[in-house]
Amino acid sequence: MTTRTDETEFERRTRQLLQDSIEALPAATRSRLTRARHAALASRPSWTSRLSWHWMPAGASVLAVAAVALFMALPHGESPAVNPLANATPEDIEMLADSDAVQLGREDDLDYDFYEWAVGEATGANAPSVGS
Amino acid sequence: MLAFATLSAQTSDLLPAGKTHLRESAQDGARALETFLAEVERKAFRIAQIALRHESDALDVVQDAMMQLAHRYSTRPSEEWRPLFYRILENRIRDMQRRRIVRQRVMSLLPWRGEDEDEGPDPIEQAPDGGPSPVTQIESQQMMQSLEQALEQLPARQRQAFLLRNIEGLDVAETAAAMKCSQGSVKTHYFRALHALRAKLGDFAP
Repeated sequence: MTTRTDETEFERRTRQLLQDSIEALPAATRSRLTRARHAALASRPSWTSRLSWHWMPAGASVLAVAAVALFMALPHGESPAVNPLANATPEDIEMLADSDAVQLGREDDLDYDFYEWAVGEATGANAPSVGS
Repeated sequence: MLAFATLSAQTSDLLPAGKTHLRESAQDGARALETFLAEVERKAFRIAQIALRHESDALDVVQDAMMQLAHRYSTRPSEEWRPLFYRILENRIRDMQRRRIVRQRVMSLLPWRGEDEDEGPDPIEQAPDGGPSPVTQIESQQMMQSLEQALEQLPARQRQAFLLRNIEGLDVAETAAAMKCSQGSVKTHYFRALHALRAKLGDFAP
């Protein structure tokens, strides 16, 4: 706020009139303004909440360290999602990598009649009967 | 509430010596903010009242501006409060004026709208009271009404510059900060406002 020396008489009178109108505000209006001021001050963030903001970075750091320590301390059992190739021999891997190999895992590719015949041949069950 | 107070007291007891300044500075800040708001509230109300021509709306925007300052900017340096507060106030005044325009448009579309539902200011409510003598009071009232009418017809930025400088007494730099414009713009707005008011009010002699 400043006092202006270069102001005109018009400005001086206008300002005086405005200032007088402020002084002449009704008591009811002044009272409502006071209540509004108190409400505004009540809405001001408390010093405790500001304190919590102040400590928040330290709290976050402590929480992060605790989480890492908890993770490290927990017993780590066998995970159900074990890599099936973990114990495979090089031959197994070579067979699986062979695109021309029999796809044993696919139901459509299983020839049950052939396997039945093969088992019979091996055990002699398929031996031709005399006279056949 | 009691539990909170107890917890606060316990918390303050547990504060390290270097941190007790937070509570003390907060208390000092609250006192400083109250002093500041008490200093500006009536001037802000008159600025809002002249812009809005409605006492209740003016009180609402002043309260909103005070709450906004206290809630969001109370931790800022106190030197920044004045321009911040008047910037918030002007934004609230503009919001209120926009709401009124929308409300008036909507109301004008309603066929059953009665004339008694007009939201214009109540002249009895608007009339300032108090004064040293009846004659002086009447003269002042007439002059004030003329001035308010003339101010009402000014463009918003000119009125804002004129009122911030003559009611709040801000200098050019402070007014520029409050209006979020350059000092040159403030000078231009103020100069044009002054000439327009002179043209309407003449010598404005009591």
